[in-house]
Amino acid sequence: MAWTDGHATRDLLAGYAAGTVEAVAVWSVEAHLTGCARCRSALSALVDAGRLARNRSVLLVRVALPHGGLVRRLLCRCGIPDYVLDLVAATPSLRRSWLLSVVGVLAVVTGEAATVKYGWIPVSGHPGLAGNPSPEALAPFLLIAPLLVLAGVAAAFLPMLDPAYRLAVAAPFSGIKLLLLRTISALIAASVPVACAALIVPGPGWLPVALLLPSLALCGFALATASILGSRAAAVIAGMLWVLPALLLATWHVPLAIVQRNAQFACAAVLCTCAVVLYLRRDRFEVGSAT
Amino acid sequence: MQAPPGMTPEAAECDDAALLRAVARGDERAIAALYDRHAGWLTVRMTRRCALPDVVDHAVQDTFLAVWREAGSYRGGGEVAAFIWGIGIRRLIDAIRRENSSSRRLPWHAAETQVVTSAEDQVLVGIEHGRLGQALADLSPELRGAIEATVLDGLTCAEAAVLLSVPEGTVKSRCHRARVTLRAALAAQQSGSDEAGRRREAWGTS
Amino acid sequence: MNTNVRTAAISADGLARRYGANRALDDVDLTLERGITGLLGPNGAGKTTLLSILATVNEPDAGSVSVFGLDPRQPAERVEIRRRLGYLPQELGYHRHFKVAAFLDYMAILKEITDRRRRADEVARVLTAVGLEQRAGTRIRALSGGMRQRLGIAQALLGEPDLLILDEPTAGLDPEQRLRFRELLSDLPGDPVIVLSTHQADDITAICPRVVVLLQGRIHFNGAPAELAATAAGRVWVADERDGRAHLSWRGSDNRWRHIGDHPPAGAELVTPMAEDGYLLLSHAAGTR
Repeated sequence: MAWTDGHATRDLLAGYAAGTVEAVAVWSVEAHLTGCARCRSALSALVDAGRLARNRSVLLVRVALPHGGLVRRLLCRCGIPDYVLDLVAATPSLRRSWLLSVVGVLAVVTGEAATVKYGWIPVSGHPGLAGNPSPEALAPFLLIAPLLVLAGVAAAFLPMLDPAYRLAVAAPFSGIKLLLLRTISALIAASVPVACAALIVPGPGWLPVALLLPSLALCGFALATASILGSRAAAVIAGMLWVLPALLLATWHVPLAIVQRNAQFACAAVLCTCAVVLYLRRDRFEVGSAT
Repeated sequence: MQAPPGMTPEAAECDDAALLRAVARGDERAIAALYDRHAGWLTVRMTRRCALPDVVDHAVQDTFLAVWREAGSYRGGGEVAAFIWGIGIRRLIDAIRRENSSSRRLPWHAAETQVVTSAEDQVLVGIEHGRLGQALADLSPELRGAIEATVLDGLTCAEAAVLLSVPEGTVKSRCHRARVTLRAALAAQQSGSDEAGRRREAWGTS
Repeated sequence: MNTNVRTAAISADGLARRYGANRALDDVDLTLERGITGLLGPNGAGKTTLLSILATVNEPDAGSVSVFGLDPRQPAERVEIRRRLGYLPQELGYHRHFKVAAFLDYMAILKEITDRRRRADEVARVLTAVGLEQRAGTRIRALSGGMRQRLGIAQALLGEPDLLILDEPTAGLDPEQRLRFRELLSDLPGDPVIVLSTHQADDITAICPRVVVLLQGRIHFNGAPAELAATAAGRVWVADERDGRAHLSWRGSDNRWRHIGDHPPAGAELVTPMAEDGYLLLSHAAGTR
C-alpha cells in the first residue's frame, strides 16, 4: 500500500527520494506534499542531515550579509565589482554616526555665517565681494570645511581608528589599494555634505567647487606624509598646514584668498607632488606600523 | 509532529503563514524555522529535476534567500509550500542556466514537476487511479516531461527548454504532440469504457 | 603550490627586535615543522613580537625569516606568504557594529576570495568549525568574550591557510571550549604549520607535540613536552607543610604542598615532574640570572 490514512507510506517516500517510483506516483506525492506538513517532515528525515545543515549555515550567512540598496545596485551597473563595494562599506567614516557629526558641525558653522548675513552679529571690516556682507563671516566655515574632509579621510587610514588593522595588514589584499579605496570613498562621503553647506553659506556661488581642490590637496598631502612619517603625524601636520594659513588670512581680513586662484594653483601643485610621492612610497603601507 | 532541531517551541506552534509574516518583518529565526520545515522536501523535489548536487544546493540556498527578501509578496492564498516551490523552480532554472553558461553538461532528469494551485491538487491526486493517469503514463518520457514543465509547472517554453536541456522549438513541438496523443488516448478510453458498459448491459445482471 | 621541499617549513635566524631600550627579541633561532608548536612564556617575554614577525606584520631589526622558502622582505614574496597565512593577534579589535557574517565576509575579501558564493560557503564553513553557525546574524558587540575569541579563530581559518599563527587563542575560553579548540586544531585540512602561544600549560601538554619556551626575548627550550618535564626530574616534591627552601610552592587540590627547587630536602617525597614544572624552573632560573 502506497497510501495509508491519506498519507504517503515511508516506502513510497523513500522510493520518491531515491527516484525509483514511476511518473504518475511521483506527481501524486508532490501534489500531496504541497498540502501535508507531516509527510514533508517525514521526507526531510530521509535527506542527508549534514547536507541540510551545511546549506542552512550558508543561508544564515547570506541572510546576514547586507543586500545593498539602490546606490549599490547603481554602482554595480557602472562596472564596479561588488567586492570593492563590500570593502568600502567597512570604512569607518562612512558610518552614519560619522556623517551625522560632520553634518552637525557644518550646521553650526553655516548657521553662524548665516546669522552674520542677517545682521544678528555685527562684523566690522572690509566691504567684501559684491552682494556679500563680509568675508570674515566665512572664515570659520573656510577653516572647518576642508578639515572635516581631512578628518573623514584620516578616519579611513588611521590604524588606531581601524580595529581590525593588524588583520588587514596580515592579509594578501594590497595595502595601498585598500587604503586608496577607503580614502576615495571617505572623500566622497565627506565632500557631499561640505559642498551642500557651501551652497547654503552666504558666500560666492563658486564656493563649493573652490573647496574641492584644497580638500583633495590636503588629503593627498596627508597620505603622502603618512608614507614617510606615519599616519598620526601626517594627519596632524596636514591639519596644521590648513589651519595656519586660514587663520593668517582671516586676521589679514582676506579669508577667501585661501580658495581663490593662486591658492588653487598651489593646491593643484601640491596634489600632483603628493601623488608622485605616494606612488613611489606605496610599499610603506604593506607593513604594519608600530601604532 | 517533532520540531526539527534548532527550532524554539514557539516557532513549532506557528503555522507557515505566520512564519512568513515574521520573515517579512525581518526575523532571522523565522527564516531558519522555515528552512528547517521546507528545505528537505525542496531538496528532494529539485533533485528529481537536476542530478547535480551542488546546483541543487545553490538553488535551495537561493530559494530561501529569495523568500527572505520577497516574503511580503505572499498574498495568503494557497499553501506556503506552493509559494516556496514557485520561487524554487525558478531559482533552479537560474542555477541550471549558470551551469550551462559555465559549460558543464547537465543530465536531464525525468522531470516530474508539480502543481502550484490547490485547485489542481484535487485533479492530480486522483491521477493515479484516474483515466488521465493511465493516458499520461502511456506517454513517452520526453512528451511527458514537456507537458509537466509547461502545463503543471507553468513555465514558459524558454524556461522549460533550460530545464529539459533541449531547444525551445523542441519543447513546443513535444507539447503539441503530447496534447494530441492525450486527446486521442482519452477519447479511446471513453469509447472503450462505453463499449464495455454496453456489453455488460447486453448480458444482463445475472 | 609549495615548490620548495625543505625539512623546515618556517625558519628564523638571529631575529632581534627592540622597542626603545627594551630588547623584545634577542638572537632568536627557530625552525617550525608541520604540526602544532606551542610557544610558552610570561607576558613581556617577546611571544607577541615573535609571532607578529612570523606573520609578516612586523619587521625585525636584525636577522632573517624564511616562510615556505619565501622571504618576507621581498614585496611579491610577502604577498604570497600572506595568501597562505591565518593570523590571530592578541587583543583583536573588531568593528563592533558589524554582524558576524559581515565581518568574516570582509576578512574573506581581504584574503582575496572575490566570488560571492565561494565567500559565503567559506564563511559558513569556518563558523561551523568554531561552533558559531547560529550567530551569523548577531552583531559583534552582542557576543560574549569567548564567542569573540572563537570569531577571531574563525577569521584565521578563512582560506584554509598553510600557516596558522595564533596569539593566545585560548584566552577567555572555558574548559569545554578549549577541548573543542583542540579537536578543531587536529581536524584542520591540509596539515598546516600551527604556532600558538599560551599561558596554559595543559594546552601545551594536550595538543602540542613541540614546545618552545621564550623568556626575556631568548629561547630557553625547544623540544617535546616530555623533555621539558624531564628537565625538572628530581626537583619536584610534595609535602604536607610548606617548605621555604623551594623556589616555588603552592597548595595542590589534594591539600598538599607542591614544591619546585634545585635542592629538595633529603627524604622528600619526589614526584614525577610535569611540563609546567620544567617551565617554572626555567622561568625562575632566567629571572635570577
